[in-house]
Amino acid sequence: MPIQINRGVIGKEFPPYAVTVERGKIKEFARAIGDPNPFYLDDRVGAASEWGDIIAPPTFPITFRDESADTNALLRELGTDISRVLHGEQEFELHRPLRPGRTYLCRARVSDIYEKTGKSGPMAFVVRETTVTDSDNEIVAVMRGVTVVRL
Amino acid sequence: MKYAKVYADDVNVGDELPPLVKGPIQQIQLTRYAGASGDFNPIHQDDEFAKSAGMGGVFAHGMLSMGFVAQALTDWAGAGRVTKLGVRFAALVRLKDVVTCRGRVVGKSSKDDRHLVELDVWAENQRGERIVTGRATVALPARG
Repeated sequence: MPIQINRGVIGKEFPPYAVTVERGKIKEFARAIGDPNPFYLDDRVGAASEWGDIIAPPTFPITFRDESADTNALLRELGTDISRVLHGEQEFELHRPLRPGRTYLCRARVSDIYEKTGKSGPMAFVVRETTVTDSDNEIVAVMRGVTVVRL
Repeated sequence: MKYAKVYADDVNVGDELPPLVKGPIQQIQLTRYAGASGDFNPIHQDDEFAKSAGMGGVFAHGMLSMGFVAQALTDWAGAGRVTKLGVRFAALVRLKDVVTCRGRVVGKSSKDDRHLVELDVWAENQRGERIVTGRATVALPARG
């Protein structure tokens, strides 16, 4: 029996949440990817750089989660669970590099849900857009993620 | 030479990124990536769970492969130069797979002091199957 996705979730806005970028998390993330770039890992190279400190790799904003939110709540609201979902697409617009010690505000919303039938059967595509701003309310990054739900 | 500085003046449409080879993928890397990213979906850690979910076993986080593609870009263009990266996850990456990231310059533009280079980017496994396809934009300095 295919499941039904709750399209009423389109437009849903999540409560804004703040994240502070930790120096150690940048390094842990770069090392997990196996990227030895000294601009991520070496404090002295960072200090001498145009940014005055180490910076985060391009995909680092994916770590910006709302720690107080129940990560399965959206899946439940959509009418599915983690065993049915796959990461379909991801995009980052990066306006300036993220630096340690800075606090950023994230605003996420479900911007679209659409359905398609692929080789492996019917699927729903849930598009989530997250805008990341700095303390001056300037946009530093925008993320768009597409979650595929196998129906 | 690694981390050589690339100038917009020296980049031409059709130029290719130096390929970046990653892997073979090991479970320990998926566990480290889970910890580093906060994505603890058991489908990347627990073979039984992944099988019961109909996925035939554990596979890598798509975001790990995207991180590899980003590394290929920043190895060439420099850290902090990527202004846009968008990918589609086209196929699953399994344990022991070797992932090769590639890219090709498809466009160049300059406005005021900003020099942007657009690339097609992709990653393929050891069988030559594309596991990630996408587009990227990098902002490069100009000579002089």
